[in-house]
Amino acid sequence: MKNFNWLALGFLAPALIVITVFFLAPVILTGIFSFTSMSTSTGVTGGEYLLNQSGIRALADKGLNTATLDQLKNAGYVVDEKGLAALAERHGVATATEMRKLHENGQFSSRRDMERALKSLKANKIRSTKDRKAAAELFKHSLLNERFPTESKFRTAITEGGIPLEDHELIVTQAYTGWVWTVDNVKLLFSLPSTLRYAGNTLIYVTLTLMFNIGFGLFLAISTFYLPAKSASTFRAIWFLPRILPPVMYVLLWKWLTWDTGFIATTLSWIGVAPINWMLDTSTHAWVVVVLINGSFGASLGMILFSSAIKAIPSSILYASEVDGANRWQQVRYIILPHLRWPILFITSYQTLSLLTSFEHILLSTEGGPGRATEVWSLAAYHIALDNYGGNLQYGLGATFAVALVIIGIIASLFYLRFFNFNEMVAKPKIEG
Amino acid sequence: MSHNFRHWPIITILTIVSLPLIIMFAFQIIDTFTTHPIDSMIPNKVTFEQFSFLWDEAETGRANIWQVTLNTFIFATTTAVVVCTVSMTTAYALSRLNFPGRRYFLGGLIILHAFPTVTLIIAIFLILQIIGLYDTLLGVIMVKAALELPFGIWIMKGFYDNVPWEIEMAGVQDGASRFTVWWKLVLPQVQPGIFALMIFSFLSGWSEFLLPQVLAPGNDAQVLSTYMTALIADDTKIDFALFKAVGMFYALPVIAIYLIFQKKLMNIYGGGTKG
Repeated sequence: MKNFNWLALGFLAPALIVITVFFLAPVILTGIFSFTSMSTSTGVTGGEYLLNQSGIRALADKGLNTATLDQLKNAGYVVDEKGLAALAERHGVATATEMRKLHENGQFSSRRDMERALKSLKANKIRSTKDRKAAAELFKHSLLNERFPTESKFRTAITEGGIPLEDHELIVTQAYTGWVWTVDNVKLLFSLPSTLRYAGNTLIYVTLTLMFNIGFGLFLAISTFYLPAKSASTFRAIWFLPRILPPVMYVLLWKWLTWDTGFIATTLSWIGVAPINWMLDTSTHAWVVVVLINGSFGASLGMILFSSAIKAIPSSILYASEVDGANRWQQVRYIILPHLRWPILFITSYQTLSLLTSFEHILLSTEGGPGRATEVWSLAAYHIALDNYGGNLQYGLGATFAVALVIIGIIASLFYLRFFNFNEMVAKPKIEG
Repeated sequence: MSHNFRHWPIITILTIVSLPLIIMFAFQIIDTFTTHPIDSMIPNKVTFEQFSFLWDEAETGRANIWQVTLNTFIFATTTAVVVCTVSMTTAYALSRLNFPGRRYFLGGLIILHAFPTVTLIIAIFLILQIIGLYDTLLGVIMVKAALELPFGIWIMKGFYDNVPWEIEMAGVQDGASRFTVWWKLVLPQVQPGIFALMIFSFLSGWSEFLLPQVLAPGNDAQVLSTYMTALIADDTKIDFALFKAVGMFYALPVIAIYLIFQKKLMNIYGGGTKG
């Protein structure tokens, strides 16, 4: 019986591979990304070194002295191959050759010095001052807007530009366009006022939707339980449809109902109410619609589970209560609800977790609007990292938002495992056990 | 049950609270086949014009509807097949075979189940870009199948758990290998489960919106959900009749499949959440 483990391994292998690639790797990477400054502009793989106008401004903000800043902007003049080639093109090869002989690799910090060097040409004089000025420009060596593929090339360039050594670190860090390790995301998470807002929105969303789900699921399950089979299944089918319909389609129906050209607006206009967008007019409208959309979707789950739990109640108990003269309310209160304690507990915990992380319906309906009134945590993570108006997708910050959800998810599921009797689920196999 | 109670008060209340849904569903059907005056809801003409997107040439910049439908079909079918195949073996191992660390696999499975799309999608987005499967149907299929897998395994494990041990013990007693026992004796027992999972994953793939939206936004790998979203997001013309017709075309297979396989699917909708 030794080869049992091999069989198990073979049976598990495909799932293990898939889970490693698409669960473990992403979770670990999300954790890693959350400590980086990764975004669209930094790219994912790596970066180069580039100082531009905004980089200079940032350096000034970080307290780099003005002299160095000026030096960065006009790093001076170098008689190099590039400049000589340009000179040859404009003033002839002879001029360039003489220039090379006199000043090859010469460095000049100001234009005046550069022009003086050009004046020193004997055989091939550049006569007009204007031409000399233009020729001097050919040797200008600015660090601005020039791309350097590696750090060492960039360092060489700023050394040649005469930048004091003590400022190098700051400039190199600023000029790097790739992503870097940072804890700024976590700091941002705790300092941004919008974080609190997203957390608050999530709390509102989860609480209200959960109440709607449980309350309405219970109501549907109990009320259809008392109906004849045919009408019961009709109502169950109506309330089950939101779960079957593709979300895009389901939300479209709500849009049709609530938009300013939609059903509610049109019907109310018959009695003289000016049409408004009932989904997005104010944040209250938005919240009501969001809770209704998600609630109607979620209530079906409660309805199914509660219905089957009610069916499992021995009918003799119900008959006995009727013989004893219990009215319907008493039956619900003292027989059915106590029997539903575990299903209610289960749905509450299960749906809390799903609601914390679900945002598809909100994305499709209000997109977090109006303003950011209905932007919940998970939607914020999505918006920051994968779809924002600015176009600069901040993978790092989004990942930090997602990590917060991962942590909550793990804690919650460990809690469930304790709570819902894990040991029974993993009972040992009986053959080789 | 409870014949000494009257039904009509419940029916009335239920009808009132269900009214928004009933109105939505009713007008979904009415509006797709009729036109109505601008400020009225009452149809005045029967028409099939809303469905002209099916045979008219696609507008510039928009994908062809049949190509999109084919994509959606490939996406849903492949996802379903992959999920079923992998769940079939993995769930059996978890349910019936003993191997070191089995407890942790099961615990891990439940924890995986608790990882929602949003916590993974940022990293998956970057992974797909690095391995070059971004904006391809293949990439989205792989991701979707992977994300459905914990659920599929969990469901299949439930079905395997219900197969009596005696069947396998008899097989092993008669000298069959565990593999043969699984293939010849156990699999036929869980066939309804596999079938139900297949249908369920197909529907789930057919309805999927977020993954194609994020991982394959281009026209080539477009599926019906993203096609429809792009149509609605286009502010220049808001034409609910057209949206609804496209929606009808999109949702019809789902509803048909659901009506046909209702009983089988209920096993999953009800049981899939027990974990």
